[in-house]
Parts: sequence; structure tokens; C-alpha cells
Amino acid sequence: MTPERTDYRAVVVGAGVLGLYTAYHLAKAGERRVLVVDRGRLSAGGSGRNGGGVRQQWETRSTIRLSREAVAAYRRFDREFGHNIWFRQGGYLFLAGSPGELERLSRVRNAGRAEGLPVRLVGEGEVARLVDGIAPGACLGACYLASDGTLYPYPVLWGLYEAVRALGVEVALGVEALEVLRDDRGALSGVLTSSGRVSSPTVVNAAGGWSGEFSRRCGLAVRNTATRHEILATEPVKAFLEPMVVRVSDGLYFSQSMRGELVGGLSVPHLPGTEAGVPSSPRFVSAMASALVGLLPRLSGLGVLRAWAGFYDDTPDGLPVIGEDPRLPGFVHANGFGGHGFMLAPSASRRVAAAVLGEPVDLDPKEFSPARFLGPDSSPSAERLQLG
Amino acid sequence: MATAPSPRFRFGRSEVPARPGDSILAALARRGWPSLARSIRYHRPRGPACGVGQCTGCLVRVNGVPNVRSCQHPVHDGDVVRPENSWPGPRFDLLGALDLLLPNGVDTVHGLRRPSRAAPLYQWFGRRLAGFGRVPDRSATTPRGSALALTAGITVVGAGRSGRSVAEALARSGQRPLVVERRTAANAARGPASIEGVDLLPGTTATFLDPPRAGESSEFTLLGIDSGDRAILVRTTTVVVATGAYDGSLLFEGSDRPGVITADLALSGIDLPLGKVVVVGGGARALAVVERLSGGVGAVVAFGEIGPEVVRAASERNIPLYPRSRVVRSVGRSHVRALELSRRDGGGTFRLPCRTVVLAHRRLPNAQLAFQGGARRRWHDGPAAYFPEIDALGRTSVPGIFAVGSAAAPGDLGGPAAEQAAAAVLDPTLAAAPRPASGAPGELVPYYRELLQEPRRGKWVLCPCEDVLLEELEAATARGYRGIELGMRYTGVGTGLCQGRYCLPEAIVLLSILEGREPTEVGHVTQRPPLVPTSLGSLATLRDELASGGGP
Repeated sequence: MTPERTDYRAVVVGAGVLGLYTAYHLAKAGERRVLVVDRGRLSAGGSGRNGGGVRQQWETRSTIRLSREAVAAYRRFDREFGHNIWFRQGGYLFLAGSPGELERLSRVRNAGRAEGLPVRLVGEGEVARLVDGIAPGACLGACYLASDGTLYPYPVLWGLYEAVRALGVEVALGVEALEVLRDDRGALSGVLTSSGRVSSPTVVNAAGGWSGEFSRRCGLAVRNTATRHEILATEPVKAFLEPMVVRVSDGLYFSQSMRGELVGGLSVPHLPGTEAGVPSSPRFVSAMASALVGLLPRLSGLGVLRAWAGFYDDTPDGLPVIGEDPRLPGFVHANGFGGHGFMLAPSASRRVAAAVLGEPVDLDPKEFSPARFLGPDSSPSAERLQLG
Repeated sequence: MATAPSPRFRFGRSEVPARPGDSILAALARRGWPSLARSIRYHRPRGPACGVGQCTGCLVRVNGVPNVRSCQHPVHDGDVVRPENSWPGPRFDLLGALDLLLPNGVDTVHGLRRPSRAAPLYQWFGRRLAGFGRVPDRSATTPRGSALALTAGITVVGAGRSGRSVAEALARSGQRPLVVERRTAANAARGPASIEGVDLLPGTTATFLDPPRAGESSEFTLLGIDSGDRAILVRTTTVVVATGAYDGSLLFEGSDRPGVITADLALSGIDLPLGKVVVVGGGARALAVVERLSGGVGAVVAFGEIGPEVVRAASERNIPLYPRSRVVRSVGRSHVRALELSRRDGGGTFRLPCRTVVLAHRRLPNAQLAFQGGARRRWHDGPAAYFPEIDALGRTSVPGIFAVGSAAAPGDLGGPAAEQAAAAVLDPTLAAAPRPASGAPGELVPYYRELLQEPRRGKWVLCPCEDVLLEELEAATARGYRGIELGMRYTGVGTGLCQGRYCLPEAIVLLSILEGREPTEVGHVTQRPPLVPTSLGSLATLRDELASGGGP
């Protein structure tokens, strides 16, 4: 696919959930001269490789607000986009195994409550009710919010893809953004793609796992790095588990999808960089199996159906990078979402679109702006609940 | 030989006797055609289709563990076996009404979302329809022994004709290769009890081949699982993939109906009451089926011409032949009663009464292990399938991975000679020419081209594991989701319990017709590990063994 025109109002790099949602907000705001480029096909990157978790339990107020708005957007997604994303609000359950972890989760509870979310600390008995067959003594207690949930990522992409194209946005798949172009005064003038040059006063870097690489190539590095994370799915079985379960101590997470598969991962040492691609490793599969069986012994006989991997786009403070780069006006970051791009995309992309249109962005620049990585002192706040 | 006591197991309410070495399916088959489960989405009848552990038609619950392939599970005395995914049972299943109520299937991408208030209800119901068996019983947590960890210079996967020949040639050269073989020693009549000069690991299925990665390791890591659910870890420098081939399926209306089986099952030795048989295919596999089943065969049909050897074998047995005929549909309810065909030269449709349809038209390479290890593919028009790209000595594009036998090349080409492959294993510098692709044009593309133009009724189940219909694949193409990767994600084809072994090869051909592109442009899917579902409990036993191995 090659771009149809040569001049655009905005070029979005990356046709994942962030990029497509950004294009959607731009088009809805009346700006249809938008080009989305992606070097791969739809769903090839993190948007097609994640476990579909969507939660509102966080440590920072700003992330809670973004995720609440995202949950509301996913609740109305089927009406807005005509696709069934099977968003099931079965709750998120964070398990604490030590008094220190319980203390940490009580801060998560307080942060949620301060925002009006009915987050609860629950005891071992209620955990055993929510997670049928959990090993006795496996946790001291847990933090639970019933309105968190899981969705099926693919129809989100189909819905967005069809919606933005219906609104006149151009999506060029198989076209790679190589670097930004500057005019003779050094201002942003467009993008050099694998299919040639296109001119545009704004560029959005929503390239997920490859966004750090693209920023660096443009000479606009921020401190996000890609790491390979692995995930597996078991054979499908009848529904037996409602919530997404996350263990604080080792980052074990799993939920049961609409198809009946248990889908989950684990915080094992992950491979940095994108060069190695996304193979699965025997080490992850066995570590994950060991963690799952330790927590839920009854799963011992359940088969692993497949394992795969994707990239997280991590930042040092655990907060995404949203906003215009002060070094090159018009270059807007929409990256650094760690493993949580899917869950924050609907609301974060609204701010990205606002930044492209030069409208005010209701995010604290100290928390989200790329500028926080450029000064001597880095950000004042951090989101450390990088689990699940 | 001393006679071992005959094991017995419970199936539903009855007690079933088995012979030593029997699989559950083999023992059940002697009592009649078994009904074991209904399909996931529409609760259509399902029955055994392959007999070699590839399809998902014979899944049962064994001792509280769901989704066990009964054709692969050896009977242990006292086993408790139950049918799955049906109520009250697979023969009469109340949810079978779904199949009738939803004659055109259900669109899960766009449907089942209005009114919004009903969404939780759809989800509640959908989650109970999805899945296959129930989660394992709490009591099914048998303690496991430790994993078996081995180191081998050369590992040969598969001890069929080719694997055995290569292993023997290596042994003659002074090597002692490790041979991993899926069949158990109890099946020694069909598998090798031993091979001179090699270490044989019978009853072991290789499920995950992890190639060496720069800075991490210098060896392949090969994971396997044995018939006792013990995890096997092999660290090895060379892997010879000799995993053979399997018979592919064919899509037509009712191709998922019990009684439609592949030649693998017909030739497996599992003693099913096949009754009158219609064989589909006119080549070597059809010949093998005719010779084995002999008097049971009522007809041989083929889309194209029927080969002279099959013609001869059939005429000796007075078996009528129907060349140039296309399968239209299978007739029956919970089992095949007849096969309906149409003459391609315009003679109209006709029915052949039968109880079994044996698909013997197409052999597919069982080469997933080589692809998982990173080996490049090559498309062959004849069988309409991807094989590993190899040179004349069996070397794939990945140093250290070899492919031989029917896993490596279509039947008309033949795999590399065992002696030569063994020589190349020992001396990587041997020069060899690349091999040509199979030249013979296949029959599958014209078959599906005609099929796609026919008016359709009823469900055409492309993926029997997840009940994905042909219409869903067409819808994906119509909406612009092109290529097998997107087709798979849009429809779920290839994501079921058989990991796409049967539906993906068909889907690639179908998409190439629907999209008007070459199959290689439609692409391919590398099956994700593990190659067969491998229990969490057994994988867990590998953790300590693998934790000690270098970087992340």
C-alpha cells in the first residue's frame, strides 16, 4: 500500500490501538487529512499480542483517571464501532503474600477510593471464593475491583480500522516510517517512509515496541526501551474463573478468556531490545507453569495450548510519554505505555489528538510530557504497579 | 510371552475391557463407533477422525483431566473416562438444538451485543458454551516425578522409515544418536522396539524446538512429553526432523460429521466398525486403504483421475470407481449415511450409501518442529502445502536442523537418501544442490475453486475444533482482512485445540482463491509452541532444569 496523497495534516506512525484511536479522535474532531502508517499488518505488534486486561487500580491518580475513562469507552465500544469486543467486567484481584505487599495494596485501595472507585481489600476467604481451587495459604489478602475486566483485543482493532477508514483516514499498511523530515529552518515538515516522502506539520509516534527506535532515528530519544514479554494460553475449558488474578510478588497474572483459555504471563527477566524478535522460550513456559500450578494445583493436568511473546515499551517511571517533544514542535509522543497501552488507549489517545491539534491537554506535563526525561531531574511521580 | 492382565476402565456407566497396550479409543472402538463429545460452538456431533493424535475428535475426560486424546492415551486399569461437552450425553445432547436454531452460525465479531443490557447474559452463556471439558478436578493433582533431562549430540525426531534409516546410518558411522519416537514400546508391532546402536526414547512427543540464540546458548533445546506425562528436556546440537506426514482433511458440507475420517485412522489399526467405505483419492494413500480394507470398500472417488494401481486393485475387488467427481456433502445426522457427489463432466449428482468416508487424497508434512526451529518454507503445488526448504542432503535453512522423509518433501519427490543425509549431519561442509519444487499441479485448488462457486446450504465447518465456518473466512476477505495471519485472527481458524493442523492448510488454499493471490502471498502460520497441548504440571517440573541455563 502506498499513501494516496503527499500532504497531510498529521501522520501517525503505528496502526496499533493507540495510533488508530488517535486517528479516530482526529477524524471525529474534523481533521481527516490523516495518514496512519505501519510497517507490518494489523495486530502484528503489541495490540495483537496482549492478554486483553483492562483495569483501574493504580497507585497514581492520573493513571486511575485515564483508565476510568478508558473503561467507559470500552463499555460503549460496541455501540460506537459496531463490533463486539466481549468486554467482560469480571474484576481484577491483586494477591498479597506478605504484610508489606498488603500494605502496598492498601495504598492502591486508598488511591482508588479517593477517585470514587469501590476498590476493596478482601481476605483469604473471599479470595478462595473468587479463585476456585487456590492453594491454601497462598495469599494473605487481596485488592479487588469488580468493574475491572478483560476484552478481546482483535475486534477493537477491526472496529477502529473500519471506523477511521469510513471517516476518510488513510491507513497504509506495510509502509514503514523511516525518519522525520525537516525544512531548511529545522522545523518538522514530514516523514520519509519506505514508500517515499509525505509532508505533514505533525507526526505522532505511536509505534509501540518500536517507538523508542523511531524516536532515536529522528534524534528525539526519550528514555523508553522495548523488552520482550512472554505469555501463554492453556487449552479452553468451561468458565471457572471470573477475575483477572495478579500476584504482587512475582507478577504472575492470568485470566480466563471468553473462549475458555487461561491466558497469562509472569515477570521473569525479559529480553531487552527488539532484535531477537518474538520467539517463546522454554524457560518462560516452565516458570509460568510452575507459578500457575503452585497457586492453583488443580491446573496441573491442564495443557498449555500455545505460547507467544510481544514487546513492552517501558519507561523508567512507569508512566507513558504523551505530548509534544520540546525539541521538535509537531512531533508528538504517544508511547512508553509499558504493558498497558491497550488499557489506556481510548483516553490517552484523546490527549494525543489534542496535542496534534494544538488544543490544551489535561494531563500534568510533569508526569506525562517527554520533557520530563530531558532535564537534569526526572519525574516527580511514578507508577509502580507494573503488573498484569 | 507372559500374558499381562487385561486392564479395565469405566466409560460413563459401563465397564470396558481392554487389551494390554490398548489406547482408550482402541478399546472403545471394539464396542462400536464411539460418541465422545459435541463440538464447542454449535454442539455438532464429533467423532474420531485421525487416530494419530492430531485431530480433536476423540477427546475425553480421563481421571478428572479434560481434553485427553483417547487415541493416544494408554488404558490403565481403573481409569475413569467420561464424555465431554454434552448434556446429558454426546448421543443425545440438548444443546444440539443450537445447531438447528442457528442454521447459518453466529457472527461473534458483530453479533450478540444488542441490547447492551443483555451483554452480561451473552457473556455468561458464551463462556459456558466455550471451552471443551471442565477444568481439572481438584483431586486430579497427582504428584509428578522429576523431568528427564538429556544431552545429545544428534537427535533424530521420529523413528519411522526415514528416521530409522538415518539413525542407523549415523550409528554405522560411529555416532550414537538419540531417537525420539511418539509411538510407545507397547505399540512395537508398528513402532521400533529398538534400533541397533542408538538411544531410543519411545512414547515421547517432541513439542517445542528452541533454536540456539546468539549470546544465550549454543545448543537447541528440545522439549517433549512422554505417554506418562513426564517432561523431557534434550539439549542437542543437531536435530533431524523425521516426523513423517499425515492425511489432510477436505471441506464439504458435513465434512465434520462422524464417519468422515482420514486414511491415517483407517490404517491405524484401531478396529472401528467402518461398515461400507467410500475412499476419496486416487493415489498411493487410496491404494493403501483399498488394500487394507479390501472388501469393506464400496467405492473409490476422486476429483481428478484415479491412478492405474488403484484402478487395478479396485477392479480385482470389484470396487466401482468414480473419477472426476466432486464431493458435495455427507448425508446423515449423527453419523454418515451416504456421500453425495457430483460429476464434474455434467452428469448431475448421485449418492453412495456408506458408513465411513476415508479421505486419502492428500498427504501433509508433519514438519511443524522444523518451522518452529526457524526453518524456511517452500510451497509445493502438488500437495498444495508448505514443506521445509531443503537441499539434496536434507539441510534446512537453519544450521543444525535437517529434514528427511515425508516431512521433508512430497511423495513424488521423495526425501533425501538416508545415507547422504547422515553424511551431511556429520560433515556440514558437504556441498549439495538445492532441490526443485514438486512440479505436478495439484487437484485441490480446482476443487475448491469449483466449491466456492456452488450455492451452499447448511454449515461448512472449516475448523472443527472451534466450529469456524467457511462463511466467516469469506467475510474476513470481503472486509479487507487479507492473508492467513489476519484471517486466523479475524475468524479464529487455526487457533483451536489441534493448533490448525487440519484447517490451516485448507484455509491457505481457500484464501489464495478468495484473494486471487498465490498461496505464498497469503502467507503461513508458524505453529506456536507447544506442538501438542502439554500439561502445566509436567512443564513445571522443568523449571529448575531450565533456570540454570544462561541469560534471560
